[in-house]
Amino acid sequence: MFVTRRRFVFLCCCLLFWAAVAVRGASAQTIYLDITNPNFQKIPIAVPDFKYMSPEQTQLAHTMADLLTRDLNISGVFQCLDPKSFLEDPQKMGLHASQINFQNWKQLGADFLVRSSYQVQGNSITLKGRLFDATAGKLVGTPKGYEGDLGAWPDMVHAFADDIMQMVTGQPGMFNTKIAYDQRVGSSKEIFECDIDGYDPVQLTHDRSIDLSPVWSPDGRKIAYVSYRSGSPKIYVMDVATRATRMLCGYPGMNITPAWRPGGKELAVALSKGGSQDLYLVDLSGKIVRKLGVGFGSSISVSPNWSPDGEKLAYVSNESGNPQIYIYDLATGQKTRLTYSGKYNTSPAWSPKGDWIAYCGQDGGGFNIYVIHPDGSDSHALTHGGGNVAPRWSPDGRMIVYSSSNGGMPVLRIMFANGTGDWQVMPHPGGSQGLPDWSPPMNGQ
Amino acid sequence: MKRRRGIYPLLMLFAVVAMTACSCTKKTVPPPPGYGPETGSGQAGSPGAMEGAGNRWRALGITTQAQKARFLERAAAFQNEDVYFDFNTYTLSDAAKKILAKKIAFLQRYPSVRVTIQGNCDNRGTEEYNLALGQKRADAAKEYILNSGGGNFNVNTVSFGKERPVAFGNNPAAWAKNRHDHFVLSY
Repeated sequence: MFVTRRRFVFLCCCLLFWAAVAVRGASAQTIYLDITNPNFQKIPIAVPDFKYMSPEQTQLAHTMADLLTRDLNISGVFQCLDPKSFLEDPQKMGLHASQINFQNWKQLGADFLVRSSYQVQGNSITLKGRLFDATAGKLVGTPKGYEGDLGAWPDMVHAFADDIMQMVTGQPGMFNTKIAYDQRVGSSKEIFECDIDGYDPVQLTHDRSIDLSPVWSPDGRKIAYVSYRSGSPKIYVMDVATRATRMLCGYPGMNITPAWRPGGKELAVALSKGGSQDLYLVDLSGKIVRKLGVGFGSSISVSPNWSPDGEKLAYVSNESGNPQIYIYDLATGQKTRLTYSGKYNTSPAWSPKGDWIAYCGQDGGGFNIYVIHPDGSDSHALTHGGGNVAPRWSPDGRMIVYSSSNGGMPVLRIMFANGTGDWQVMPHPGGSQGLPDWSPPMNGQ
Repeated sequence: MKRRRGIYPLLMLFAVVAMTACSCTKKTVPPPPGYGPETGSGQAGSPGAMEGAGNRWRALGITTQAQKARFLERAAAFQNEDVYFDFNTYTLSDAAKKILAKKIAFLQRYPSVRVTIQGNCDNRGTEEYNLALGQKRADAAKEYILNSGGGNFNVNTVSFGKERPVAFGNNPAAWAKNRHDHFVLSY
């Protein structure tokens, strides 16, 4: 009996110890973070220079660590420590848990440590990334390997950043996504894309005209956009890989604001054919599937944006006398006014989870980014400075990209969905930027 | 060889047809009013070339140099007078209607000209909503002209939203100048 009781106590202790280890282990593997919580504190992480395993492209040791630092900092989850405080030479320091003095890293305040190595052979590069829990002194998950052409190293670093996010938050990061936008080039406006950290901007169109309103297809392979290259606004579709472009909608009058329906088989567009503005569904050949008939008298109907289930459209109408946001239900044909506050509410953007609609509203401070629930409740401003327009969500719904002219020339900025952590996407944009759209994840392309 | 000889004339014929089709298209579709050279009077050939491009002028009912000079003067006035709007509206004011009445008179006198009405907005608000608003401004003038009973004129519209400001600056004077319909002739 006595023995049994002692054994029972011993078992309990074992269980408690195991549970404690399990919880600690789980927290090292997966920490579910609500970064929209205002009390969320960013996780301190150390990213020393990567270790080169062969004496080629040694400058990448620092460049890659730099890009990873930038990615992790804009994730909103991590706060990268200043490398100046690091005690060890990253080229001499070991790569495995047994070779790392975690005490040093803990003293610097790091919860996590990134230790990566790479090897260059001719025109190819192999990257190995490891994430350590500095407190527990052990590897998180398994080491991640990436290989490819030397020039693809930024994609590998982005992929590693995504994997770190996955290991710590249980959700992948957004570093393998792109942002399409329009930018002034001389006196014309062209379509561009860039990485979400502002790297690698690529000019996609060379129409020497006015090109705007780029929107990614749901598979991320195409961009629909508006161009004046024939003299009036028509909608074109570009295959992003080949840059092959074809006209989608060239009806008389204006053909603007394309929006791919989830599933990618149809688009909602705003046309003025026949002299009155309305929203239309068109198929991938540009043929009209259906006129939605949301127009009222000679009202403006523009900027359709799909609910994630593809059943509803948020759009802008001025049938009340000034621009307001409405929701149109495709099944019932019913339209409901969403915004009542203010006299100028435009550019609706439905969040990927469907729980919010971001939009641009005019208030005492000028034009600012707002969010509102689709039932019309809890409308509030995320920006306050004015000059902020054209919001679009990241595919994970945690960030919003928008165009801001608060500092003069309109440039792209990104903030977290709760309005915090706002930063400029590109430190030195080549011209004023507008109408951004966030791509789906580009993995496997 | 025989085959080639058979195909070659056909190719030539095709090329000629294609070129003809091409020049036809150019005549019927007004050139892009994007950022290229302005459309309109630039097409009229060298001034005073009544003999060379006589058909064109005759189509306008112009047979003398004096008539041509008169036309060019009135065409310039037509293109230089814009119609203005209040913020976020596309209602034609009385002043706007007076200006449009002059344009209707010109169109009645020269009904074969083509007009493109370009709707524009000031730089406040969003690009996309302003595109739609500019279209409404252009359409408002077009409807007024076509509903005037003056005739079945050849009128196109295009909206430039806030993309082509004529006045720069963030002040009420610049905004007022940018909220306008601009009228471009081709003939």
